[in-house]
Amino acid sequence: MRLRPTEATSRLPAVLALAALAVVAADAAPRPPRLDARQVTLENGLRVVVLEDHSTPIVHSQLWYHVGSKDERPGRTGFAHLFEHMMFKGSKNVRPDMHASLLASVGGESNAYTTEDVTVFWSTLPARYLPLVLWLEADRMASLKVDEETFRREREVVKEERRMRVENQPYGRLSELIYEHAFAVHPYRHTTVGSMKDLEAASIEDVREFYRTYYVPNNATLVLVGDFEADEAIALARRHLGPVPRSPRPVPRERPVEPPQARLRRVTLHENWPLPVIVVAHHIPADGQADSYPLVVAAKILSDGQSSRIFRSLVYEKQLALSAFGTANIAEDPNLFFAVAVVQPGHDLDEAERALVAELDRLAAEAVSDGELARARNQLARDYIVGRASNQQKATHLAHAAVIHGDIASADREFDLLMEATAADVQRVARTYFTPANRLILRVLPPS
Amino acid sequence: MIAPSALLCALAVLALPVAQASLPLPVAQASSPAAVSVSASQSQAPKWPSSRPPRPLAARDVRFPAYEVKTLPNGLQVVVVVHREQPVVSLRAIVRAGSANDPPGRPGVAAMVSTLLDQGAAGQSAQQLAEAIDGVGGTLTTGLGRDLSFVNAVVMKGDLAFGMRLLADVLCRPSFAPEELERQRQQVLSGLKVAYEDPSYLADLVFDRLVYGAHPYGLPGNGTVASVQALTRDDLAAFHAAHYAPNNTLLAVVGDVEVEEVMAQVTSAFGDWARRELPPPSPARPPDPARRLVVIDRPDAAQTEIRVGQIGVPRKVDDHVAIDLLIKILGGAGANRLHRVLRIERGLTYSASAEMECLQQSGQFVAQTSTRAETTGEALRLMVNEFARLKRERVNDRELANAKAYVTGHFPLTIETPEQIATQVLNALFYGLPLRDIETYRQRVNIVSLEDMARASLRFQPDRLTMVLVGRAEEIVPQLGRVGFPKFEVIPAGALDVLSADLRRAR
Repeated sequence: MRLRPTEATSRLPAVLALAALAVVAADAAPRPPRLDARQVTLENGLRVVVLEDHSTPIVHSQLWYHVGSKDERPGRTGFAHLFEHMMFKGSKNVRPDMHASLLASVGGESNAYTTEDVTVFWSTLPARYLPLVLWLEADRMASLKVDEETFRREREVVKEERRMRVENQPYGRLSELIYEHAFAVHPYRHTTVGSMKDLEAASIEDVREFYRTYYVPNNATLVLVGDFEADEAIALARRHLGPVPRSPRPVPRERPVEPPQARLRRVTLHENWPLPVIVVAHHIPADGQADSYPLVVAAKILSDGQSSRIFRSLVYEKQLALSAFGTANIAEDPNLFFAVAVVQPGHDLDEAERALVAELDRLAAEAVSDGELARARNQLARDYIVGRASNQQKATHLAHAAVIHGDIASADREFDLLMEATAADVQRVARTYFTPANRLILRVLPPS
Repeated sequence: MIAPSALLCALAVLALPVAQASLPLPVAQASSPAAVSVSASQSQAPKWPSSRPPRPLAARDVRFPAYEVKTLPNGLQVVVVVHREQPVVSLRAIVRAGSANDPPGRPGVAAMVSTLLDQGAAGQSAQQLAEAIDGVGGTLTTGLGRDLSFVNAVVMKGDLAFGMRLLADVLCRPSFAPEELERQRQQVLSGLKVAYEDPSYLADLVFDRLVYGAHPYGLPGNGTVASVQALTRDDLAAFHAAHYAPNNTLLAVVGDVEVEEVMAQVTSAFGDWARRELPPPSPARPPDPARRLVVIDRPDAAQTEIRVGQIGVPRKVDDHVAIDLLIKILGGAGANRLHRVLRIERGLTYSASAEMECLQQSGQFVAQTSTRAETTGEALRLMVNEFARLKRERVNDRELANAKAYVTGHFPLTIETPEQIATQVLNALFYGLPLRDIETYRQRVNIVSLEDMARASLRFQPDRLTMVLVGRAEEIVPQLGRVGFPKFEVIPAGALDVLSADLRRAR
């Protein structure tokens, strides 16, 4: 643990205090407490991860199915998410919509979400009801029931969700536009919510097929965090979920590989948004690849806090952006690092583009300073520490480690990898990936 | 890999969707308590899958964690929650003045004060403050509500003294530098431009204005383009001088700390902050409810945003618990008739809910949903029907039992993190509620009777509801008469001015 000089420096002006810290603390960011979890794999292939936390008499359950929107077949975009909704529509022993009702009847809360890579079902409830949530998850993993009318109605709900989140919001379609133009063949080309046309085309037969293919114990990871004894939690998971049959065929994993981008792409679009937007995006490697960690550090240096480079340059000093940031979307398959600026009235997009590209170029041209690197490390340490306050957050770290990296120890090891990234690493990845040939420049202007 | 927090924060500012889609808050209606309680008397069947839910494990004690409340001689109230799981401390200061305290005719002053707190203070520039807090991996955020303004700082435990000093600087000694005001003025004006294209923001803006009338709770907290353009440095300094005082402030220190050390740091950082006489609260009263239906026309809307509701109650009322249960039955977690009717039965929307906003002087009951243009009339009718049903029919035994089971069972979930614990204590202190109410909450819920619920339902006046629709008027308007709303007003979104009596901008 880093010992921070307190009394002595706090009387100094803050900027001096910072200079002092940069010297003292270059490689000693505080450490998040480790997640001391246990993992077992049941006979049917279900991975079970448990972590005791006795601070509050509650338990959090997170069930990850390793399927997301990148597993959707052509013409069925949005289906993984639509299917997620169907998991609340009843199974052999649980009537439609009773799953959440039963959990609520004991004070629990539950929900689900779908990403490009995974579909996650979570519940938090009083600890004594752990058997209830395991029974509910087992029932819908083993015996989902769907009828045509329920399916059609839920599809309308999902279409309303798309209208609400994407179509009726200023900038709601920005992700869609970025990914559609950045990817040629990989399914990251479409976002999780999918298109109206494909949602409309989905059938109940698709639901059954998807369920048989992906909602099987050998494609699932259960993470439990809370007030229980680990042995007892594992025994309960085994009792309720152990008998769910393994799928007879392997879970499909083939996906088109995005070919390297050969030259700069420029796209200009028109949307009825209040202020224009510019995006500078670059292809980057997948989660777990060595280069992904310095890229996360680069994003911190560009965008975390008001002293970060992009904020200071575009928002504060030049005042040419209402909002501007750069972020690494590290995902299971190679994804994007993108920088975005929402441009203030009176400034043009050329100017914003030059300013964003200048910050990316600067990362490649010169090594970041010791002070900036120390700051980024401290911020990452804070993200880990603050981001592990609740059982749900801890479970999310563990599940991600198990599902994406195949190893729960990676939840803590990744922190070390981030702390070990050097200024030379950051410069190297900036040189490697922030090149014109690997770049998409997307401009979204008001209707002409 | 951890979530890219910068993206999420940046996107949140613009309300961009992140690359995920999720189900809304718990569905939950008509849960049969029998389904669960039966299991308690049932022996564990070795047969799989069991057709009944399994019996629960042994019950555990739930106790509200320990905390300390202290008051400095200058009136600053301090809450300390010791929680050692993570090596971090959060500092939260709450000043008892927010947008409702804006000077008459000058909405947006409190918000701009709050925005400028960390843009230079105690001789340090905006960028020096940013370097200081970012350098230690901390966060510093400012914000406000109707009745309060806040500053939150998060620092690692070794940085407690630094964080406390920084918090004191921005709270007590902001510079309000003219160049920073100009910079933030442009940010706020552009932010308003974006907000006015956000249908949800527009719906709330108009709904608040109609329900609270000319009471400060009904005015736009961010200001309007004209009022933000007119703000001066003197407005900000005067607001700060009037309201930012130790005897008008609560401070919570939460995390891996020692109480004695915290109090020594608080005294050192805030001890010389001088107590001040505070301005009297506004004598304004919200208007009596009256039926009104306003359509804000956005010809290119993909969906209609709907708000239905009326004036409610302030936080400090005797029947708060019963009213809260009633709102939960209407549209809250653990019950939610609106969700059942609009989403589960009809597939009209992704989300339908109701809540009550409870402030110092007043409050509102508001139900909200969004649906496509062609189903707007139906959705509005169904929502109004559910308000009417609250008053027409008594809540039945089972529904009340379910709502109670949810809130009492849910209690341990509300004290999981030190932040949640501190929030409960701060809430009680802020609204002047007895601190022991936190511990007795579940008992107070359990004694609510059907008669209490019937009395609570008298607060609702379903024939005097305020209704706001933001969407394509051309398609919505023909539906309104058919579903029983022949009287309405249509205002083009571009002509909206919530500060004028008829909500329209003067020509």
